[in-house]
Amino acid sequence: MAFIPSRIKKHKTAMPEATLNLTSMLDTFTVLLIFLLQMYSTDGQLISPSEYLTLPNSNVEQPPEVGLDVVVSKNMILVNNEKVVIMDDVTANNAAIMEHGIIKPLKERLQYYSSQAKKMETDYGVKFSGKVVIQGDKDLPYFELVKVMRTCGLGGYPNMRLAVYRPE
Amino acid sequence: MAFRPSLRRHSKEPNTELNLNPLLDVMTVLIPLLLANSQFAKIGVIELNLPPAAGAANIAQGVSGLPKETSRHLDLVVTITDKGFYIASAVTAPEEMPGGGPAIPVNTNGEYDLPGLSQKLFEIKQKAGTNFADPEAVVIQAEPSISYQILVSTMDAARGLRIDGKTVTLFPNVALSAGIL
Repeated sequence: MAFIPSRIKKHKTAMPEATLNLTSMLDTFTVLLIFLLQMYSTDGQLISPSEYLTLPNSNVEQPPEVGLDVVVSKNMILVNNEKVVIMDDVTANNAAIMEHGIIKPLKERLQYYSSQAKKMETDYGVKFSGKVVIQGDKDLPYFELVKVMRTCGLGGYPNMRLAVYRPE
Repeated sequence: MAFRPSLRRHSKEPNTELNLNPLLDVMTVLIPLLLANSQFAKIGVIELNLPPAAGAANIAQGVSGLPKETSRHLDLVVTITDKGFYIASAVTAPEEMPGGGPAIPVNTNGEYDLPGLSQKLFEIKQKAGTNFADPEAVVIQAEPSISYQILVSTMDAARGLRIDGKTVTLFPNVALSAGIL
């Protein structure tokens, strides 16, 4: 009897080994990795820009420093991300909160923080430098900025820094 | 001669592909980590110097440690107004445009002439030399309505000037001044 090849076996092609070609993906990853490593700075994020404002641009080289965050946005003033006063009251010199160009609620809040920091200094030896980082909106009028700075000085924070963007 | 099938068909090719899986594993961990940690907006700070208080220490000694009588001060003041910059210092007469305008007026389209300010301050810096106790100090004052961005740009212009690719330091010690409220 002549050999009749099996119909089933004949058509059963060998299952090809399924492997994804990962080379292209790896290429992308390598480029991304190099880019991110180059962007990476060991300083960490010392100042997180507030969402309520646009910082002014500057060509200053000085890296950010740690300090108490005072955010002066278009609508309100925040200290350590806590709302202190509404900006309209400051602009209008509302007598309930303003006194001789001093923003009273802000001064009280700053004095609270500086007294806490001084207590830390006496109790645990953490040096209190009186540093404050002011993040102001780029359209903030000079007059309002001066009010905030004056209040910072009286609130126990004489070392002022202005936070700015450094565009490349 | 009988047909002999090619030998090539029977020689099995060894698997030469690199095993990229471990590399891929590392990448998938590293990339989210770096993405989460990187900051795309670079932030800097401008240090402000408070004008020295007229305390006993300052009266007894000038900035450079010399007695105050012998140390001369440049007392450079840049005033920002809506018409332009006014500049005053010990080496310049209060300069004004004919007709009482500012030393460096705004451009015709209302923009501040920051390169002009830098240039003017560079001239003052050269004129002052090392004769003064405060060679790097400038006091900036502004009209109440001047915006923060203009103030910062003015500080930038006063801090340094780029000439032929080199940065010349002008007056980096900025102090702000305001009228008594």
